[in-house]
Amino acid sequence: MSGVRLDKIVKSYGAVQVVHGIDLEIKDKEFVVLVGPSGCGKSTTLRMIAGLEEISDGSLTIDDRVVNRVAPKDRDVAMVFQNYALYPHLNVADNIAFGLRIRKESKDAIKASVDEVGAILGLTPYLERRPSDLSGGQRQRVAMGRAIVRRPKVFLFDEPLSNLDAKLRTQMRAEIKRLHKRLEATSIYVTHDQVEAMTLADKIVVMQDGRIEQIGTPMELFLNPANAFVAGFLGAPPMNMINAVVAKGENGPIASFDGQTLPLPALPDLQNAEGRPIIVGIRPEYANIVTAPQPGSVNCTLNLVETLGSEALLHATVGDDQFVIRTETLGKIDQLDHVNGFTVDPTLIRIFDAKTGKALGGQTRVA
Amino acid sequence: MTMTDNKIGGSTEELVVEAGEAQRNRRPSRMNRVGDHLRREWQLYLLLLPTILWLLIFLYKPMYGLQIAFKDYSVFRGVAGSPWVGLEHFYTLFENDQFIRALRNTIYISLLGLVFGFPMPIILALMFNEVVNQLFKKTAQTIVYLPHFISSVIIAGIVITAFSPSAGIVNTVMGWFGLNPIYFLTKAEWFRPIFVGTGIWQEAGFQSIVYLAAIAGISPTLYESAVVDGATRFQMMWKITLPMILPTIIIMLIIRIGNMLEVSFEMIILLYQPATYETADVVNTFIYRQGIQGGQYDLAAAAGLFNAFVAFVLVMTANTISKRYSRTSLW
Ligand SMILES: Nc1ncnc2c1ncn2[C@@H]1O[C@H](COP(=O)(O)OP(=O)(O)OP(=O)(O)O)[C@@H](O)[C@H]1O
Ligand SMILES: [Mg+2]
Repeated sequence: MSGVRLDKIVKSYGAVQVVHGIDLEIKDKEFVVLVGPSGCGKSTTLRMIAGLEEISDGSLTIDDRVVNRVAPKDRDVAMVFQNYALYPHLNVADNIAFGLRIRKESKDAIKASVDEVGAILGLTPYLERRPSDLSGGQRQRVAMGRAIVRRPKVFLFDEPLSNLDAKLRTQMRAEIKRLHKRLEATSIYVTHDQVEAMTLADKIVVMQDGRIEQIGTPMELFLNPANAFVAGFLGAPPMNMINAVVAKGENGPIASFDGQTLPLPALPDLQNAEGRPIIVGIRPEYANIVTAPQPGSVNCTLNLVETLGSEALLHATVGDDQFVIRTETLGKIDQLDHVNGFTVDPTLIRIFDAKTGKALGGQTRVA
Repeated sequence: MTMTDNKIGGSTEELVVEAGEAQRNRRPSRMNRVGDHLRREWQLYLLLLPTILWLLIFLYKPMYGLQIAFKDYSVFRGVAGSPWVGLEHFYTLFENDQFIRALRNTIYISLLGLVFGFPMPIILALMFNEVVNQLFKKTAQTIVYLPHFISSVIIAGIVITAFSPSAGIVNTVMGWFGLNPIYFLTKAEWFRPIFVGTGIWQEAGFQSIVYLAAIAGISPTLYESAVVDGATRFQMMWKITLPMILPTIIIMLIIRIGNMLEVSFEMIILLYQPATYETADVVNTFIYRQGIQGGQYDLAAAAGLFNAFVAFVLVMTANTISKRYSRTSLW
């Protein structure tokens, strides 16, 4: 059992509070990804777990032991840094062995561990090389090797892939996933790349301004975001947001915007709420293109068509709001330039309060 | 003057013509590349000019006078007019017991300075790096940098006073333990420790700045990573800081070895006296006494040239060894 629990964790630098009381429960063997925009406190949170930053308030529990005052080395965690933190004067084998040497393990045991880890990560041919003679991907692997070789309870990753190019990143992402399956170690992974978060995580924690916005599985967050921020952060391109006000329709509430209307589900919050400003959220993937107005369709003005191959991104405007539609190209390529509206399955629409950004209660969960 | 101007103008024109031709032939000549480079980067060369002039005037022009080491030089006949005598002065030097003694002292003092003086700034820098209290660190640094900014004359004065048999602090403290006062500066056997110690006291702090700068350049994540791995502060110093500044240490060592025979001349002059010549007289002071005070310019030039030659060999050797074994070198 190597669970990690954060109870109202606070971090202040002097008078400035940057992490405002975070609650988070990470189960044994779970892969948790902390994601959020730059400066939201992801690294700070991770570094508090590692013991590199003091915890200002709250309690941190690893393996049922409160470790607020425990030195990093006694927390049994290993950390992979963004810039790899490899020792340039040591070769790959010595870099991997560093943590074990520090702990004065026997020479034979060290050699066996290094060889094993080298084999797991495909580094065997490079063990004698210096880091300066390795490619970015190989360096990254050495950094992982340094963490793995110690067999810690918890792995911490701080944007380990952000220095790699796009292709290598995809490859290493798959490798990390594979490695986690194999080692089954509790992992906490920080990134600001939502694709990494979606693909790697058992559980995603979306953060903003030192607070947690939502915790859940990738699909849960994607389909049922708790607020407009999460909706806008996950998914590429992000969810479209149309500013609207609630109006009374024939069969219940409708959203009114740009002189158009869209039927809304009969949520309790929308009853007798005429004039209430709301945000209508529609994923680019869930809008179906039309080239002539249809009953229930929304009109839009097409500005730009980006063809990506099997898919295309249509950049349009609805009133003053940008609206992106993602659609398949197969058999539709001739229509794309003539798109002037879209339809959407009402159950896939997400409705947020315009002021707080919170998702309105009672919406059907998408699964 | 006009002649030179014309010449320069002409050669530039030639260069341009040549450049044009080379481009047409798609065979960029070396001259062409140099010319293009000069035209493009002339501001940088302009910035370099004062240094080059300084080197030419103060280091290269005097080299012309070096030939008197091989001549029977007389002030009246001048450098060019004096007759050649080959290596005669060098034979004279090596038959001169005083020169041999000076050479031996130079090497001995230099080695002592190297062995004790070279590690000091490194140790200081490592120690400063471990100090957590910023106020204490700044204060301590200022105190150890200070002697560097004090004139050698005053430093010598302080040393002479400190070691004086009547009022000096050293003898006073020795007196508390019932020891008889020693007039250190008249004892040949005490000259070297005092001289080397003074040098360390004066320069170690200031020299530590180079190493502190090198330490500041080490990525903090290396330490963080080591902390998570469980390294102690001492382990980090030994396994990270020291290896990471090793290239700097080696460069400094090469420079140091190159300057090894340049024993701080004015400090010797200020501290030695005939009673301590036995251990204190070095090549530079020998040159000063023979050449400047004794008027034997040719002999002094030969001694100086020999000194420079040995220094040259030393620096070449150190660089080659370092290049081969540590991948670090000055050039
Ligand atoms: N030593 C410090 N002193 C004061 N403020 C700090 C310090 N370190 C971090 N901060 C602040 O804490 C906040 C969170 O920083 P943190 O490094 O955790 O962000 P992050 O989410 O990791 O961002 P990024 O994606 O850019 O790495 C930032 O606003 C930052 O300015
Ligand atoms: Mg960060």
